[in-house]
Amino acid sequence: MEFKNEKLSNGLVLIGEVNKSAKSAAVGFFVKTGSRDEVAAINGVSHYLEHMLFKGTEKLSALEVNEAFDRTGAQFNAFTSEENTVFYAAILPEYLVEVTQLWADLMRPSLRDEDFNIEKNVIKEEIAMYQDLPSFDVMDRCRTLHFHGHPCGNSVLGSAESIDGLTAEQMRDYFAKRYAPNNMVLACAGNFGWDQIRSLAADSCSKWPRQVVERKLGHFDGSKKKDRIEKANLAREHICLMSEGVSAQDPSRFAASLLGTIVGDDVGSRFFWELVDKALAEAASMSYGAMDGTGTFYSYIRCSNENVRKVLGIVRRVFDDIEKNGVTEDELAAAKNKILSTLVIKNELPMGRLIDLGFNWTYLEQYRTIEDDVAAIKGVTVGDVNTLIEQLSPGDFTQFSIGPALSS
Amino acid sequence: MAEKFDKYVLKNQMVLLGEPMEAVESVAFGFMLPAGAAHLPEGCCGASSVIADWIFRGAGDKDSRQLSDALDGLGLLRGHSVGSSHMAIGAALEAGNLTEALDLHADIILRPSLKEDQFELARQLAIDDVLSLDDDPRHKVMLKLREQFYPSPLGRSALGEILELKALTVATSERIMRDNFNLSQTIFTVAGKYDFDAVCRQMEGLFEGEQQQGGQSIRLTPSAGQYTHIENDGAQVHIGLMTETVKPTDEDYYNARVAVSVLSGGMSARLFTEVREKRGLCYAIGARYHGLKEAAGIMCYAGTTPDKAQETFDCVVEEFNRLGDGISEEEIARAKVGLKSSLILQSESSSSRSGAIGSDHYILGRVRGLDEIKDRIDQTTVDSVLAFLRNNKFKDFTIVTIGPKRVTVK
Repeated sequence: MEFKNEKLSNGLVLIGEVNKSAKSAAVGFFVKTGSRDEVAAINGVSHYLEHMLFKGTEKLSALEVNEAFDRTGAQFNAFTSEENTVFYAAILPEYLVEVTQLWADLMRPSLRDEDFNIEKNVIKEEIAMYQDLPSFDVMDRCRTLHFHGHPCGNSVLGSAESIDGLTAEQMRDYFAKRYAPNNMVLACAGNFGWDQIRSLAADSCSKWPRQVVERKLGHFDGSKKKDRIEKANLAREHICLMSEGVSAQDPSRFAASLLGTIVGDDVGSRFFWELVDKALAEAASMSYGAMDGTGTFYSYIRCSNENVRKVLGIVRRVFDDIEKNGVTEDELAAAKNKILSTLVIKNELPMGRLIDLGFNWTYLEQYRTIEDDVAAIKGVTVGDVNTLIEQLSPGDFTQFSIGPALSS
Repeated sequence: MAEKFDKYVLKNQMVLLGEPMEAVESVAFGFMLPAGAAHLPEGCCGASSVIADWIFRGAGDKDSRQLSDALDGLGLLRGHSVGSSHMAIGAALEAGNLTEALDLHADIILRPSLKEDQFELARQLAIDDVLSLDDDPRHKVMLKLREQFYPSPLGRSALGEILELKALTVATSERIMRDNFNLSQTIFTVAGKYDFDAVCRQMEGLFEGEQQQGGQSIRLTPSAGQYTHIENDGAQVHIGLMTETVKPTDEDYYNARVAVSVLSGGMSARLFTEVREKRGLCYAIGARYHGLKEAAGIMCYAGTTPDKAQETFDCVVEEFNRLGDGISEEEIARAKVGLKSSLILQSESSSSRSGAIGSDHYILGRVRGLDEIKDRIDQTTVDSVLAFLRNNKFKDFTIVTIGPKRVTVK
């Protein structure tokens, strides 16, 4: 493994981790923008813009873009979160330069009106699709309730209304401000030649103008409100809990991640033994979500309507116990093993490695080897996790539920 | 790409297959037990899911908690799934822990505790999973589609049916395990970093025994019907559509795969371009090849709001029907490179390879090398794909919709 990095004069950061023994390579543009960088009038624009980047440039139509990717056999896509928009491709090494060039071209899209109008329908279909997925819907709504007015509570997709109201002009304006080279990272991982990527970026990206880019940071410890809505067509109760977490920059993020696994991993966690193993809930998980300057723990629980009261009582006891007695050496050791396995196996694929590489730079401006992360996880003590519990009180949560009409 | 596969057969005919991978520190393994949904007795739909949970609730000298802790202690990323033909139990892990993981899995498969109280919990969870499906119409529509498309019992839902799960007993489940955990028809696979000689010696010690009889063939009855609509007051109409095609063993298999790739391989493929890009009818749209040993189909999903459901459905059917009218050289070239590329990308993952070699062995009786698959894809041409489509016209579509509105099937 060899790490390379460089910064162009306009602020665009290039990073790469070369692994000549890999069969593939991966490339991505990590743009530091998402729904938290939006105001209400343009809510959903980051995600909509992600779609619009595939619609081409002055020289390429949307179909030509898709054809160009498909000619290389790339597995390519993009995703948008509250604070990042990532465009990526996993690819055979011989096509890496071609695909990187294509992404670089697409980072200066034409954002044509006619494409904007057709894509609006697709975005609204995506919003409708997630409305039919209560497990997703409940998390989205809980996040909004939790961050109550803080921009991290903005919906990534936006609403049908906000999307309807959005104009192509507003999107072009948002693009110009946010897709600045000094707000992006170009990352590569796997089997590729660094010099080719370097000169490609110098040729294609150097002229992009630098901008003053800001993001409202600020930690938020959550509203701790409780709410529930009913949908007549649902069969189960979907519950989301959200509480304060540490930020992506905080050294205790590794302890936070282990705490999430101890309380809410799919198997072998406290939630698992108390709720799933006993067949009181068919799903119960908790995870830690690191964010820029803030963070959350979020849980998802699904159960029958009849079991809701009992399940929430047990959840209360799980958090009370962990706040009173802390975690044990044994459960911390098991959590470490699980997280380390996941980390190592995921990073064996250039595509998996790319994501960690890109986000480490986005959040920390730091190159971290897998060994660095392994050592950090191994170094977490029971005392570290218990200190975090004391500091964050995970039992003090915001709660949102979606379920069928109550029978009583 | 130099390839080497390992193979060893125990005296009881259990097959051990391996694929060494140089660039990884992990190993993935899997047991394919002939206890898939289609192999269950009538009236026991879902029993495999219950059993797959039950056997992890204590085994050998460990109770449920101790077993789980032991597995977690090895950092196992566990996975089990139930398909039409097999129940697959396996994991990916750091290579150094393989020996201990296999010892534990021998207990789970051969010496599960099978406590009655634990059975009730496993069964309740299986019932809850079926009930939860109503809140995931996109998943449900594809399960229903397979059920309706394949000759029964090939398309049975692995999740099961509520009434049959409620009627399932400890005794029936134990009998299914006796009949279906047949080591003589079990395939064990391992991929990644491992020592095959050591694995074979260990597996002999753990699983060697008398050859077992059994494994009667499945009696097939014709598939259920053409169009099923399930009313649901959701935001979208979820459309599933499936039509028959050649099996993985067929001479034309690679022509079929390329044809499906022209239809829905990448973002420049027909369905994405016509339905989403040009008309903005859908967000999620796609078709894929779905092959069992006994039958195969092309399955397609589209999700759209009620007002657009009919146009979406018509547009999808039109794309299937006009595929045989003509395909350009460019489209075939893109389809081929897409298939080859995804093959190579998947070959870097130990879990993917462990699954792939087992499936090849079961369906084809041998493991295909990457080079062989690449050559066969390369041999396809516009003419060969069009000839295949001419000889295998899409005749009947099995259709399932879930949502607030039906579609009209012409």
